[in-house]
Amino acid sequence: MDFDDSPDEAAYRARVRALLEEHAGELLHLAPGQEGVDARRHEPEMRRTQRVLADAGLVGVTWPREYGGQGGTLVQQAIVAQELARARVPGLINHIGIGMCGPTVIAHGSQDQRDRYLARLLRADDVWCQLFSEPASGSDLAALRTTAVRDGEDWVVNGQKVWTTLAHVADYGILLTRTDPDRPKHAGLTMFVVDMHAPGVTVRPLRQMGGQSDFNEVFFDDVRIPDGERLGEPGEGWRVALTTLMNERVAIGGAGGTIGLPVEAFVEHARERLPALDGDRQVLARQAVGRAVVASLAARYTGYRRLTVLSQGGIPGPEASAGKLAGTEAARLVADAGVRLLGDDAVYASTSDGDDRWQRTQSWLPGIAIAGGTDQVLRNILGERVLGLPPEPRSDKTDPFSGGRR
Amino acid sequence: MNFDLDTDQRDIAAGARDFFRGSASPAAARAGLEGDRLEPGRKALADIGFLGITVPEAAGGAGRSVLDLAVVAEQGGAVLAAPSLVTAARAAVLLADAPELAAQLADGSTAFAVLDGPVDGSAPSIDAADATLFLGLDGGDLVVGEGEVVPGRPLDATRGLASVRLTSRRVLAPDAQELWARARQVAAVVLAAEDLGGADRAVELGIAYAQEREAFGRRIGSYQAVKHMLVDAWAGVDQLRSLVWWAAWAADCAPAELPLASSAAKAYAAGAFERAAGTLIQVHGGIGFTWEHDAHLYWRRAKVDRLLLGDEAEHLDTVARLAVAGALG
Ligand SMILES: Cc1cc2nc3c(=O)[nH]c(=O)nc-3n(C[C@H](O)[C@H](O)[C@H](O)COP(=O)(O)OP(=O)(O)OC[C@H]3O[C@@H](n4cnc5c(N)ncnc54)[C@H](O)[C@@H]3O)c2cc1C
Repeated sequence: MDFDDSPDEAAYRARVRALLEEHAGELLHLAPGQEGVDARRHEPEMRRTQRVLADAGLVGVTWPREYGGQGGTLVQQAIVAQELARARVPGLINHIGIGMCGPTVIAHGSQDQRDRYLARLLRADDVWCQLFSEPASGSDLAALRTTAVRDGEDWVVNGQKVWTTLAHVADYGILLTRTDPDRPKHAGLTMFVVDMHAPGVTVRPLRQMGGQSDFNEVFFDDVRIPDGERLGEPGEGWRVALTTLMNERVAIGGAGGTIGLPVEAFVEHARERLPALDGDRQVLARQAVGRAVVASLAARYTGYRRLTVLSQGGIPGPEASAGKLAGTEAARLVADAGVRLLGDDAVYASTSDGDDRWQRTQSWLPGIAIAGGTDQVLRNILGERVLGLPPEPRSDKTDPFSGGRR
Repeated sequence: MNFDLDTDQRDIAAGARDFFRGSASPAAARAGLEGDRLEPGRKALADIGFLGITVPEAAGGAGRSVLDLAVVAEQGGAVLAAPSLVTAARAAVLLADAPELAAQLADGSTAFAVLDGPVDGSAPSIDAADATLFLGLDGGDLVVGEGEVVPGRPLDATRGLASVRLTSRRVLAPDAQELWARARQVAAVVLAAEDLGGADRAVELGIAYAQEREAFGRRIGSYQAVKHMLVDAWAGVDQLRSLVWWAAWAADCAPAELPLASSAAKAYAAGAFERAAGTLIQVHGGIGFTWEHDAHLYWRRAKVDRLLLGDEAEHLDTVARLAVAGALG
């Protein structure tokens, strides 16, 4: 057991650190106390930052070299993430493209699609989004209703997607549609790459409970998609989507990445705030601080265990879902304790020193327990695929989709 | 980064598992509640070398790491073995400069217990019920002596709880607070390791039953209320394993991290084991509430262990204080 970098890892980390220093002037940096940036307001700087990082070989670390990646390991990718955080460089604007869309194109796209899209995606020349969820189908993704109908060399798409993160800045999206309503719901789906600037695509921002607008609703009115933009065969969309979802699980908390604010930032906050509380309140607050720290450390070290398995050639399995569950829970305890330490300041828009990050983080976390598989859906996956418990009985796998609805 | 057991430790775990499965069991823990002998007993543990794992070779031990000991302790915890390896781990630290006593610890010829509270008989300690020589902290000094043992009516017989009033004492080391604190931290790690084993086994038994038992025409494991309860218990065990390994590693390799790591592991263990044992009973329904079923034996262990060597509140407070003081690095 050894928490230090192996010689190879240490050399890699040193290289990453040197590259980040070399390009420091061209990268966006977070101010002290700032935890993230808004893609809506900082789109140009975020695209530029990703381009610089991509050209330095720090984006798509695990992607194959032939598609512009580095052919590296998940451990190297984790090292890059750690060093970016250390250098206070905010998350990449194209994180959905890199984490979910690109790997799907690599696995199911044609050579032509890979050539056209992947290098540009890595450099944020194009930003991507994932067009899966609909008003009537979130967890039950295969119940979606957006249709694609073949018309000569094109497909014509009609319907609505919702909660689409980054659709407002995206150039492309992967779009899951229903192409055969007479087949059972999983068998009638087809995946496409859609040009978000095509005629008939309308993006409307949705405001989240915390006030920001990271996600959107997207309307498709007779949008024409050439058949060459199909990902996988017609009717094979579910299999393609599973690739996306598998990558999503790993991208969110799969290998020990922190969800929410880092525990170190929280502890700093506690250091400032605890002494101001008196008597019993301080004792109770310390319990909450202790609980948040313990949960964060447990999630972190469990991530290290997963990373070790990956570094020995293992592949991420469904237990990645446990990482997201634990990370979400730890992040909630941290944010909750962070807010409680504020005392009266917690109920105002900002604290006396103008720092409202604990309120902001707190109001962002309910979304994390929903996005990319709700806590309940993740528990189902873990219960059935890791613990081996019996699946839920269901009736929707065999009946034709159109027969079961409307 | 290599945060995993090595092949050697996996072998140790497999060997320990065989030994404990063959020599201890929840059935023995149940019999212990009616006054029977606890298994596997001190002699068997000494003979297979488990009492001397961290005792130096010069003193007749194996001179191995706390992590090795934790790996073994986990297997003992899975079958509710007694006496606890916590006592051996803690005494080995305290007896570092007393090789003769350490040798008696390792070969089982003396039955040691470490008094966690005052030496005046006012607080219970693990494995004190059948011990003959006691280590304690008295006015800041580490003392060893004989004592008057008053066993209580324990919720869990496997812990050998008794209060002890020292009747003789000899100072082994003056001003020993630091050594004492370290020994207690190591003990907390090993206790958390035993809890890990117990919790893991409880979840395993719960899963097995949920796969078989039917109600309303379905296996109960297909009901989400049951499935999610088991997943949460399993996830707690998974997280606890990480904290136990980290804390045991810190005891061996990063002493500065040990105070934080041991308290984190002990605090988390309290909740994780309690949840696992509670889930085990609930998943079993009425059977889980019977004397004959093993579930209550895990539940008893969890209820007792959460209070031993400092309860959850004490350790959460320690974690908070240490973190704020800069211990997170
Ligand atoms: C911040 C954020 C960003 C998002 N970004 C994207 C994006 O970029 N692209 C995209 O396509 N989607 C995105 N989503 C949508 C997200 O994937 C869905 O919200 C999610 O899958 C849940 O679907 P739903 O909202 O329809 O809830 P529902 O599926 O209607 O669920 C409602 C409730 O029922 C529970 N439930 C549903 N099914 C089950 C079941 N089988 N067992 C137990 N409980 C169940 C759920 O846990 C939940 O509590 C985003 C969501 C959020 C919050």
